[in-house]
Amino acid sequence: MIPLHWYLLVAAGMFALGVYGVLARRNMVAIIMSIELMLNAVNINLVAFWRYMAPENLNGQAFAIFVFTVAAAEAAVGLALIISIYRARETVVAKEIDMLKW
Amino acid sequence: MENIGLIAFLIPASPLLAFFIILLFTRHSKLASDIVAMVAILFTWVLAGILLYLALTTPHLGEEPLTAGLVWLPLGDAVTDSLRMGVLVDPLGAVMLFFVPLTATMIFIYSTGYMASGSYWTEVTGEGDHDAVDTAGRKLKKFDATAWKARFMAFIALFAGAMLILSLADNLLLLFVGWEIMGLCSYLLIGFWHNRVYANQPKRITPMLAGIKAFMTTRVGDMPMLVGIAWLYSFTGTLNFREILYNPEVLEGLNVLAFPNVPALAGVTVAGAIGILLFMGAIGKSAQFPLHTWLPDAMEGPTPVSAMIHAATMVSAGVYMIIRMFPLMSAGWDGHALTLPMQVMASVGAFTALFAATIAVAQCDVKKVLAYSTISQLGYMVAAVGIGAYVAAAFHLMTHAIFKALLFMGSGSIIHAVEHGEEHAHHHGHHFPIDFDAQDMFNMGGLWKRIPVTAWTFLIGGLALSGFPFVTAGFWSKDEILADAFAHNPTVFWVLAAAAFLTAFYTMRQIGLTFAGEPRTHAAEEATQTDWRMNLPLVVLAFFAVFAGYVGVHEGFPVLGKLLGGNFFHHFVGSTLLKEPEALAFSWAPVLLSIGIALSGLLIGWLVYVRRPLQAEDEDPLKKVLGPIYTLLENKYYFDELYDLIFVRPSKWVSEQIVYLLLDKQIIDGFLHFVARFFEWLAFRNKDFDTYVVNGLGDSVAEGIGKTSDSFKYVQSGRIQQYMAIAIAGVLMLVGVFVWALFLR
Amino acid sequence: MDFVRQNLLTLITFVPLAGSLVVLFLPSRSKSLIRWTTLLISLIPLGLAVQAWVWFNADPCHDLVAGACFEQQATWFPLLNSTYHVGIDGISLTMVLLTTLLTPLAIIISWSVDDRVKLYMALFLMLEMGMLGVFVSLDLLIFFVFWEIGLVPMYFLINIWGSANRQYASFKFFIYTMAGSLGLLLSIQLIGLTMGTFDLRELMVRWPALTGKLIGIDVNVIKNVAFWLFTLAFAIKVPVWPFHTWLPDAHTEAPTAGSMILAGVLLKLGAYGFLRLVLPFFPQQAHDFAPVLAVLAMLAIVFGALSAFAQTDFKRLVAYSSINHMGFVVLAIAAAGWVGLGAQYEPQSRLNAIIAVNGAVLQMFNHGLSAAAMFALVGMIYERAHTRDLTRLGGLWPVAPIYGGILLFSSMASLGLPGLNGFVSEFLVVRGVWPVGQVDQNGTSVFVLMVALSMVGLLFTGAYILKAVRHVLHGPLNREAVEMAHGRSLEINAREVIAMAPLLVLMLVIGVFPSWLVEVINQTVTKLWS
Repeated sequence: MIPLHWYLLVAAGMFALGVYGVLARRNMVAIIMSIELMLNAVNINLVAFWRYMAPENLNGQAFAIFVFTVAAAEAAVGLALIISIYRARETVVAKEIDMLKW
Repeated sequence: MENIGLIAFLIPASPLLAFFIILLFTRHSKLASDIVAMVAILFTWVLAGILLYLALTTPHLGEEPLTAGLVWLPLGDAVTDSLRMGVLVDPLGAVMLFFVPLTATMIFIYSTGYMASGSYWTEVTGEGDHDAVDTAGRKLKKFDATAWKARFMAFIALFAGAMLILSLADNLLLLFVGWEIMGLCSYLLIGFWHNRVYANQPKRITPMLAGIKAFMTTRVGDMPMLVGIAWLYSFTGTLNFREILYNPEVLEGLNVLAFPNVPALAGVTVAGAIGILLFMGAIGKSAQFPLHTWLPDAMEGPTPVSAMIHAATMVSAGVYMIIRMFPLMSAGWDGHALTLPMQVMASVGAFTALFAATIAVAQCDVKKVLAYSTISQLGYMVAAVGIGAYVAAAFHLMTHAIFKALLFMGSGSIIHAVEHGEEHAHHHGHHFPIDFDAQDMFNMGGLWKRIPVTAWTFLIGGLALSGFPFVTAGFWSKDEILADAFAHNPTVFWVLAAAAFLTAFYTMRQIGLTFAGEPRTHAAEEATQTDWRMNLPLVVLAFFAVFAGYVGVHEGFPVLGKLLGGNFFHHFVGSTLLKEPEALAFSWAPVLLSIGIALSGLLIGWLVYVRRPLQAEDEDPLKKVLGPIYTLLENKYYFDELYDLIFVRPSKWVSEQIVYLLLDKQIIDGFLHFVARFFEWLAFRNKDFDTYVVNGLGDSVAEGIGKTSDSFKYVQSGRIQQYMAIAIAGVLMLVGVFVWALFLR
Repeated sequence: MDFVRQNLLTLITFVPLAGSLVVLFLPSRSKSLIRWTTLLISLIPLGLAVQAWVWFNADPCHDLVAGACFEQQATWFPLLNSTYHVGIDGISLTMVLLTTLLTPLAIIISWSVDDRVKLYMALFLMLEMGMLGVFVSLDLLIFFVFWEIGLVPMYFLINIWGSANRQYASFKFFIYTMAGSLGLLLSIQLIGLTMGTFDLRELMVRWPALTGKLIGIDVNVIKNVAFWLFTLAFAIKVPVWPFHTWLPDAHTEAPTAGSMILAGVLLKLGAYGFLRLVLPFFPQQAHDFAPVLAVLAMLAIVFGALSAFAQTDFKRLVAYSSINHMGFVVLAIAAAGWVGLGAQYEPQSRLNAIIAVNGAVLQMFNHGLSAAAMFALVGMIYERAHTRDLTRLGGLWPVAPIYGGILLFSSMASLGLPGLNGFVSEFLVVRGVWPVGQVDQNGTSVFVLMVALSMVGLLFTGAYILKAVRHVLHGPLNREAVEMAHGRSLEINAREVIAMAPLLVLMLVIGVFPSWLVEVINQTVTKLWS
């Protein structure tokens, strides 16, 4: 059987990729996609821990399903926001959308 | 007698009612007003006659006078504490009841003639329309005078009503009521021509001011009198004449020291103090020195008013009051040493008699001579009361009222005639100076033939005034006073005798200047007077001026004394007192002296003014004889100027400058404004405290927080990726801490 | 009728308030409707007061402590033990009659008010309520409430409808009176909380008898302080010299009807306070401080007259005359206080006090009549000639004979001419006060001196009255006054004559035959001193 830390390493890698994407990408759509990446890295962790640590409970799976749902909702709202921002300001570059300050 | 109250009530009520009827209903008709007034006064006269008859037929009227009364002011819880008002007809009252309605009726008749209706001119000031301009450049406006003349009748009706109240009053308060209403009437009537201004005689007092002067001067005396009444009332618990004056216990009780603790007033008894206070009222009302100045100026009123004031009513009231209060004034008098009020009265009266007579000598206004003669004669009466000649004073009061009314109305006739003459002469092309004075005796002369009725009656009145022996009423009454003074008080006698001499002299001077010789002006030349309403009263009063004296001829007087039934008046009036004063034994000395004095005065006057009558432009011969004294007398010893300087001006100045401007405006209001300003200042300081301290503290906390947070706001760049990077850095740090804390430590 | 009888005083007091609400709901454009409504409403309390007079005479109740007339009591403020308690005796009845009489007359005089009629009339009725409330209340707290209520409408009447300097005058009036009432309120609280009740009847018996210590201070000290606080409040209202300077300003600037009520009734509140509260509550203090009060009263008489004499403004002259006349009331009160209420006295001094207080109450009534008449007359000439400056009037009698006659009549009443009302009361005061010091064992004759000095004031009363009459009616006709009337006649009209007539008739009736009025006052006063 594949040991647990492999799964964890993959998930950590995915998460690091996501973090990088969120911090470094200019396009907001890309940022959202990076966030999805991070969420899915967490999902992997959750499922992996469930399978290896406490298979008798359904905790991990339930969490994972919550995260899916949230991710889906987040993507929907996020994309909608991005579209409307684009309509208003004709840009999707995160740096240029900095009205939300003092 | 149960009807006494009703009759006595109706006597004053009827003229008072006439007053209201005229003012409320008939004031637009002179005729109707005349009728109302005449009906009222005749009704009063008839009732007074009935009451007088009842009084004369009552035996022992002095002990049991006619009275009636009712509770006027309920005070306290006992009926005895209440103030009663009522009427009293005792012998003294009966005397008043004889001559007051008589003279009043005559004056009413005279007034209807004197105040013929028409329009009159009044001066107007300021810009605006006017109907005419007179020669002095004054703007005049025409008014319908009917209402005025009707009003005149109303006022004299009120005057007569007030005098009748006073005569019939059974207590001092009711007397005071009549007294003061007369004061009002004199004010209204003296100032009757209130809009008359003497543009060419700036020093001459106007009727308006003369009225005010009369009212205020008499009021100076009235105030102490009011206190005297209050004192008497509080001391004895009553004001009823009979209860005080006919009651030895009360009189005895009044004879105690008033101010035992005040050394300066140690000897003054209560009766004495009250007596002095009451006498002050009489000083004002009867124009005694030093409050005499109003009376000559009262001549600014229409002539019937002068007669009303001088004869029938106002000035008599003062003397009547002190005669009435004689038992109080003389409480403690043993027949020798005079009490304090009596001393004061004797000195004031005698001094006034002489003092006023000297002024009368140098007056040229026909009415002013009479005015000063009135003051002088009143001085006689006051002095008579002062030396205890009770009956003589009442006697002279009566005769004087009659002949002085006669003289005043006579002088009114003269003035009226000269004014008419002026008008006629004007029509005939004669011109008069603007300040032509129809009352100036030097503008007259030779009137004997022009107005014979007036002349004869005036002569009778004049002789009565001078005390022409045997045939005039004035002789008998004046003689009685002089005889009494001769017996008791030589000083007073000689002063009065000197005054009597001057009286005779100036009376003759007046008659000479007015009637004798040839007319000195065109006005006098054409003077006429035919109105029967003005002649009739003169004749009636002349009759009484001759015969009224015979009721009081001394029993011991040769022939006449026996013939006339033994001094009816003395016994009748004397019975008013608790103890009838003894009649003096008849003595020739004072009688001969007074006859000699009167005749010599008349003779000198005749020599100077009648035998060689003055021509036009002649100066008064007295002027040469007396020199500067004449000027002094002509100016009445400058009393008006003196009073103006020491009383009128200072009181105006004090009230305006001190009381109003300094006290009220500056000190009291100044203090208030200071307080207000202080609190205003305090309020603003309080506001400053609030602004800078209280608000400042609160605001600075808020501001401090604001500023601090302001400097942090730049953290919020709005760049999501920065936030994220910081968040991750934070997480990494936390992880680092954990790692360090959990494993590396 | 039973209902009316049981609620008589409540009705008298609150009908005006109800009326003022009614007036407020009338359309403001129909001025004549508002005027007539107000007048009719104001006649109701008058009718009730006359009815009260009739009932009172039939069944008098002169002793407040034993039981006042038309008494009514209801819960009002149980926490403080203060009740709505009303009732009257002879003194308050006289004042109620005066108030209810003057209000309709003032309203008739106000016909010429054309600006914001509705508010004016409503305020006027409210004012009447306040004044009546003071006279009928038998509870200290209620007394105070009404006392203050009266201020407010008066303030607005002066402030809105007054003449040029009205802001200053109304402010001065309001602040001054308020300042006076502060101490009054404090003392009322003190008395009420100490005694546990605000009921006048109970306090009259218990408060003067209180001895010992109160909050650690000798009770006499507290009484002294309370006495002066009471006195100050009432002295300002009367007003006694030197607290009088608000009066000439307020009277002069107030609208005519306002001056009528101010002089006619509001001043009486102060004097009434002295009689109803100060004398019964503080007999000892009233005795101790009587000379001080007498001196102040004398100064009011003399300085009031002198100041009036100094005026050239007709209305101001009349205003100062109020100080002069009210001085006599205070003088009588001082003398009565000296004799002492409920203390031991000789029968003679008791009678003096009774006569003095009779004079005081009668003087209050008389001054109400004559001052109201004088102010109305000033207002009439001001309305036409548009000036009150005496030097700009003159010689108006020929052009306005009726006005002249009425003015002379009223001024003579004010001057105290015998035969008219003022004399009766002034004589009674002089008679009552004069012997007060003398019969006392201490031999103090301060009252004698005060009466003697007051005579100077009375002399100047004559001087200023004659001055006014002379400058308005007498002398050469001043065209300026006629010009300023702009073609309008200077003579007064029928409405004004109607408003004056009751006053003139009463002046004469009281002057000639005062016993119907004095009887009622005397019975009560006699009871007070029994």
